[in-house]
Amino acid sequence: MRAAVMAACSDTQDSVPGRLHFFLNVPFPSEREASIALGSLAPDSEPRKGGISKEMCTAGNILNVKWSADEARILRVSVGSFLDHLALVLETMLEFGPPVPL
Amino acid sequence: MTIVIGFEGSANKIGIGIVRDGEVLSNPRRTYITPPGQGFLPSQTAKHHRGVILTVLKEALQEAGLKPADIDCVAYTKGPGMGAPLVTVAIVARTVAQLWDKPLLGVNHCVGHIEMGRLVTHASNPTVLYVSGGNTQVIAYSERRYRIFGETIDIAVGNCLDRFARVIKISNDPSPGYNIEQMAKKGKRYIELPYTVKGMDVSFSGILSYIEEAAEKMLGSGECAAEDLCFSLQETLFAMLVEITERAMAHCGSQEVLIVGGVGCNLRLQEMMGIMCEERGARLFATDERFCIDNGAMIAQAGWEMFRSGQQTELSDSWVTQRYRTDEVEVTWRD
Repeated sequence: MRAAVMAACSDTQDSVPGRLHFFLNVPFPSEREASIALGSLAPDSEPRKGGISKEMCTAGNILNVKWSADEARILRVSVGSFLDHLALVLETMLEFGPPVPL
Repeated sequence: MTIVIGFEGSANKIGIGIVRDGEVLSNPRRTYITPPGQGFLPSQTAKHHRGVILTVLKEALQEAGLKPADIDCVAYTKGPGMGAPLVTVAIVARTVAQLWDKPLLGVNHCVGHIEMGRLVTHASNPTVLYVSGGNTQVIAYSERRYRIFGETIDIAVGNCLDRFARVIKISNDPSPGYNIEQMAKKGKRYIELPYTVKGMDVSFSGILSYIEEAAEKMLGSGECAAEDLCFSLQETLFAMLVEITERAMAHCGSQEVLIVGGVGCNLRLQEMMGIMCEERGARLFATDERFCIDNGAMIAQAGWEMFRSGQQTELSDSWVTQRYRTDEVEVTWRD
């Protein structure tokens, strides 16, 4: 399984000036696996309530994650932590996948 | 036949266990041990768990001789505990539950200890002393809840022991508490420490401050040995625990005591509790280090009870939480 990660960073699209944004689009081998990843990663909210927000959704076989943060430091921590968790999901899928037929 | 797999990693132990109708089929575990003088921090602990969890999962299945298809339910620790490690373990549990298309169950860590204690010892309705690095509670079952009769108002008894171990820089392998216990056996002098029982509750942070200062002074001057301090600390802490347990027993008219949690491995605590029980004509129940110390099978066992009484956790509700009171759980599997 290959999950190539494409990241894009922009600070233009939000109405709040000076806010930082980070986008992650992770392709999965199937729609089901993208949805499984979302199911595993979405339930826990950000540990730090203030200064950062994260939105996740799937579009077909792609998992889309969007961050909005006030400071680069907070953004880095959140993205770094997310990538560790994503890697764990991917390793678990590699070891114990593919998903059983429903 | 119901087979449940349980994932536990709320502190520095990561364990995965499989239970089938009251039989523990496998229960592998790894412990994150820090150098002497250091405790374990959340991010490092989570990193440790991330590194070994899939290996432990494979071991659990292999030792039980099972395939994922044989599992009926995936249970994991919802809380309480340390945030980062809890999340790490929950993520794997959620992923395999979805991959294998099995129902998910979030379990309260304390209830896991209680249910494993009940299973192993066959105690029918004991007063439970739950003592570990993270928790200190006296619990009794009543009307669908594990009610907390008494607890620490600050730190857990195991936390007090672990932090004292750091002060005297003894090894954390296999655990600081175990090494304090061994040193205490060689203690010759009893040094008086504050004794802080507050009605049904206990307090340990004052004793810790006191003994940290005493250690610096008395070890420095050669007035006493570290072994004497270990001995004195155990005697004081454990006497307090015996007192509040006895108080709860008197309230409930209970004739059974069950000790669970990592500190429950301590033989001196078991001995002191045993003396009190004998004086009251009560029975003492305790488990060995396989089940006292955090493990996956205890989560599987609590999950087994919950699952069979019809409980299940939706993915969207499967978030973990650092604070989760024992009495928040509806004990649907007991009358």
